[in-house]
Amino acid sequence: MPIKKELCKNYQRGSCQYGQRCKFLHVTQQQPKSNIFGGGAQSGSYGQQQKSNPYGFGVQNSSQSKGSTDYGSKPNNQFKPFENKWTRFSPIPNTGAPSARQSENQTQATNHKCTDPESCRRIVVEDFENERPLWKLTCYGHLKNAPCDIIGDISYEELRAAAYDDAKRGLSLQSIVERERNLLSSKLVEFENLCKPHAVAPSSTLPNQKPFSGTSSNAFSSFGQLGSSLNMGSVSRPPAPLNNGFGQLNSSAPSRQISSAFGTKNMPSENAGEILRFCLCGAFSLFLLTVILVGLFGSQFPASSTITGFSSNGALRESNPFSPSPSSAQFLRTTNNQSPILSMGLDYTSNANAPAQVAMGVQLATNMQKEDISGDVSIWSKNKWNPGEVPEEAPPDAFVDAV
Amino acid sequence: MSTFGTATPGNPNPNNSIEVAQPPSDSVSSLSFSPKANYLVATSWDNQVRCWEIMRSGNAVGSTPKASISHDHPVLCSAWKDDGTTVFSGGCDKQAKMWPLLSGGQPMTVAMHDAPIKELAWIPEMNLLVTGSWDKTMKYWDTRQPNAVHTQVLPDRCYALTVRYPLMVVGTADRSLVVFNLQNPQTEFKRITSPLKYQTRCVAAFPDQQGFLVGSIEGRVGVHHLDDSQQSKNFTFKCHRDGTEIYSVNSLNFHPVHHTFATAGSDGAFNFWDKDSKQRLKAMSRCSQPIPCSAFNNDGSIFAYSVCYDWSKGAENHNPASAKNYIFLHLPQESEVKGKPRVGTSGRK
Repeated sequence: MPIKKELCKNYQRGSCQYGQRCKFLHVTQQQPKSNIFGGGAQSGSYGQQQKSNPYGFGVQNSSQSKGSTDYGSKPNNQFKPFENKWTRFSPIPNTGAPSARQSENQTQATNHKCTDPESCRRIVVEDFENERPLWKLTCYGHLKNAPCDIIGDISYEELRAAAYDDAKRGLSLQSIVERERNLLSSKLVEFENLCKPHAVAPSSTLPNQKPFSGTSSNAFSSFGQLGSSLNMGSVSRPPAPLNNGFGQLNSSAPSRQISSAFGTKNMPSENAGEILRFCLCGAFSLFLLTVILVGLFGSQFPASSTITGFSSNGALRESNPFSPSPSSAQFLRTTNNQSPILSMGLDYTSNANAPAQVAMGVQLATNMQKEDISGDVSIWSKNKWNPGEVPEEAPPDAFVDAV
Repeated sequence: MSTFGTATPGNPNPNNSIEVAQPPSDSVSSLSFSPKANYLVATSWDNQVRCWEIMRSGNAVGSTPKASISHDHPVLCSAWKDDGTTVFSGGCDKQAKMWPLLSGGQPMTVAMHDAPIKELAWIPEMNLLVTGSWDKTMKYWDTRQPNAVHTQVLPDRCYALTVRYPLMVVGTADRSLVVFNLQNPQTEFKRITSPLKYQTRCVAAFPDQQGFLVGSIEGRVGVHHLDDSQQSKNFTFKCHRDGTEIYSVNSLNFHPVHHTFATAGSDGAFNFWDKDSKQRLKAMSRCSQPIPCSAFNNDGSIFAYSVCYDWSKGAENHNPASAKNYIFLHLPQESEVKGKPRVGTSGRK
């Protein structure tokens, strides 16, 4: 809270590193004296100001300010648009760093106008170095509030639903793995290409992607088919039947081209261990591999409405997606010791009848056993284990020395 | 708490929250509390919608499973009717069901889409259910009629939805955010591109409907005001990051009384924030698995959150044989959720 009522010169010029701690007045023209209310900021009259709204949001709820005296206070005013505002947001541990953070974001975002592709590209490169989220199947825009440079979002739930769906339809694990691998690699290629010179077109047009070489456009085509199979709106590809899309992906050329884009990387299908280095996100590569281990089909448990309470835990386990029908459930349980990462939740039921699914489930479990070792292998090559994937058994001998 | 006897690193409950009895057997996709009583509903990837009664006496909290229904496919979203008698749930079976659970009734299908229903909400002022789906539409349903009252085309697949009458904000794929004035639901009030650079994960409307929060996969939350004259109050902040690892913000919930908010992320942590003083009020300890969803109860005295795998690292990290799915209840202390004056008001330069 400002002690003196003088205006802060830094703030008037644009930014003050002391933020709310500053002993001078941080105001804009709008609310010259509202700071008088003090640190706690009564929302009283200020709250009323906020209620005005072009089409009347909130007009009827003036009671919102009940009991929340801090609500609606104004330190927000000291920040200009596009400035990074989180200076104060982690007060205890980070009190030393606010000015550094502010400058970092100011250089990037404050004055960026997309007039120069080179500056756009610089922002993109910086973003990818500093702010690569763990989830890769995402759209991206280098400028806030501007359209995406990379489109084609896939959310966690969509990927999971597609995986559950595929397994239920009886798609082989290999094709599921291939599909997801291609998804990831084509998306990574898009990101790579965005970093290249001449790659960023400062506009909202999709043709961003088109000037690229055949590599990415082919990757796009596979992605597009995948996208259609996931019911996504990717760039201008006609929807392809679900199975066809997957079948083609297994042997599609883009995977070859992608390896060249990445240089010396081997093809993922050849060596499980190589995949780890293939993808930028190591953790994600295992995603593809260990799906091999997945081999279960859920049987449809009866759609009942249990009003009297939940069934016992034992029963719940049985109807657990990962233990399909009773017979294959037992079968799978015996294989548990061999492969900790046993199955995905594949409890989707297609219209196929249960017996067929059971048979397939058992068969796949058999296949799974054989593939267990190859799938497991990847875990041991990994440098860092994330929570939830620590294997339960000792490494195969092949890895004892290597790791 | 590693009951399966392995060295699974990390404590799933480092905050000593109360564990809900008989949690779902697969990941939880949504949590919602009844607006009238302490009934908690959880939807799950195991196709079930479950309801618990939460009893509280002082600091002792107990949960009793009450009832459950099944869908044919994983269930993604849930909402209570405002009278606290009925639960709506929707998911990958492309349908939404209405379940009058307090009266012991059977569920009824009330909505259909061409693709999984990702979000739904009950709008008491209009007596309509709104559903948002990956088929890029949003539909309004009068539960007594089989056909949608209105279909609204969205710019892309619906990823997130929040309603505070008359404000409704829909977050879609490719960073579009569409704002609706529910007094005129057939017209988009505003369509903006997200202030964040990556995929939108969740949105939450301010209790006073002046704006909304948007969370993304890049460990960032944007605070956005609708009114152009308040644009200077917009800002974004980083959260749910650990060194160079950037986790997504999966859930945003406003406290019903104090109007502070909580974020929950794929790093397994949840935090309480005050957007007006721009402070983090409380950082809770990280759980060993991500938190895909969370909810406050009607008076903010209970914060429920689920600790289970959210697919943030693909199928490889999904180990159903040993996967544990938890729902925890945290009793927020006043210091954690009550807004505070700005830090360092007595500090000197």
